[in-house]
Amino acid sequence: MIMKQFRFEPLAQASYLIGCPRAKEAVIFDPIDDMGAESYVLEAADLGLTIIGVFETHIHADYISCARALAEMNDVPHYLHESATELVKYAFTPFAEGQVFDVGGVRITTIHTPGHTPEHTSFLVTDTARSNEPWCVLTGDALFVGDVGRPDLLLGDQALDVMDETTRAETLYRSVKDRLFALPEHVEVYPCHYGGSTCGGVNMSGKAASTIAFEKRFNLAMRKETPTEFAAFVKETAKPFPADYERIKSHNLGLTSRDEITRAAV
Amino acid sequence: MTPAEVRDAVVTGAVVLDMRPPKPFALEHLPGAVNFQFNRADLAERAEMSLPHDLTYLIHAEPDPIATVAIGILSKAGFHVEGYLEGGLKQWKAEGLPTEALPLLTVDELNDKLDRYHVVDTREGFEFRFGHIPGATCLEWTEPWETMEHLGIDKPLALVCGDQVRSAYVASVLQRAKKDASLVFGGMVDWLERGYPVEKSPKKTKAPNS
Repeated sequence: MIMKQFRFEPLAQASYLIGCPRAKEAVIFDPIDDMGAESYVLEAADLGLTIIGVFETHIHADYISCARALAEMNDVPHYLHESATELVKYAFTPFAEGQVFDVGGVRITTIHTPGHTPEHTSFLVTDTARSNEPWCVLTGDALFVGDVGRPDLLLGDQALDVMDETTRAETLYRSVKDRLFALPEHVEVYPCHYGGSTCGGVNMSGKAASTIAFEKRFNLAMRKETPTEFAAFVKETAKPFPADYERIKSHNLGLTSRDEITRAAV
Repeated sequence: MTPAEVRDAVVTGAVVLDMRPPKPFALEHLPGAVNFQFNRADLAERAEMSLPHDLTYLIHAEPDPIATVAIGILSKAGFHVEGYLEGGLKQWKAEGLPTEALPLLTVDELNDKLDRYHVVDTREGFEFRFGHIPGATCLEWTEPWETMEHLGIDKPLALVCGDQVRSAYVASVLQRAKKDASLVFGGMVDWLERGYPVEKSPKKTKAPNS
């Protein structure tokens, strides 16, 4: 398996390339427009890999996504959880909970982990060349190192009619506890953000990799005993909203164009 | 450049450098194209080691942004690159222009029919000496343009390297010269993994059935 983490430091954002060295194929996760679709294309080409798909854990609220541009540039599918159909104004390829994608010998299994957003999905990664047990999980904005995603970025999700902040926090608690923490403890955790990002609370680590075992023992938010305590703690430790959150989210939902965002920022 | 412009440039002698990985190249490429896989870190160095300086080149890479970067790197290294095929193979085929394929062989197929092929190993000398397919000829990937004329053509050629990057390059240069060349996909990595025999003594020429 080939895995590469790309860190965009100004927003403490991490995107990923995962590929198979045999099949010479790769998929990209959560690409960020600040790095540019071209940069992912060049990174894959440097590794001799052909990009066969672009995945997003969720519709992001703190950075402009380039998943659509990257998918279009490579003429490959842009994948989002099927519930995003209700949210976004553009075409994408929906996946379901528990769906399996084979990238050569690398197996990607979707785990629906709502809470930060309703469509939020984590991706379990198995390198079948080494083992049929999973090796790592891309946790997006559900589980961070030492912290969890914030549940209060509600804009644009009303279509799913799920959510006040507290319900979302409780949903997130269940997602992490019942789904991610049910994974084997050796599984590595790769989040979409790390310390400095406004998508989590004040306890996020600047280290952008962990394990299920470490997070079970030391994640401050997840050490709360009940969803209610968890929700209160998450609210208490939240940071200010991400800069430009509303306009960024609108763009990522397909409600506004890239040009409008740029103009508004000027 | 448009497909028609690329076609016209090829007619006047320009060489298409196809920068895609070997597999998509082998399946379908522009007639006469040479497979030279992209990589920002060592493209200039590899080109310097192996590509003739006196030719005019055109780039075929997918998607297009790779081509612009490749042109920058090769131009800086002193190569004459005229442009790139906009829209890649899709656009080329949309104009009804012809393509060709490079025959692929798995190591199993090669092992089954070893006596029917002249195996050409395109790795560097030290790798070849360490262990190669019995009877193989060493033709280092850096020198196909000069030395290919000396290759025996009594049998179809089967090109091999560690995986398939260097062998695809040499195979494409040979195919361009109208030689009957096939690419052994998976190369020595697959060959050794299957436990097929290797020879450690250096051999410069094919010695069949010896």
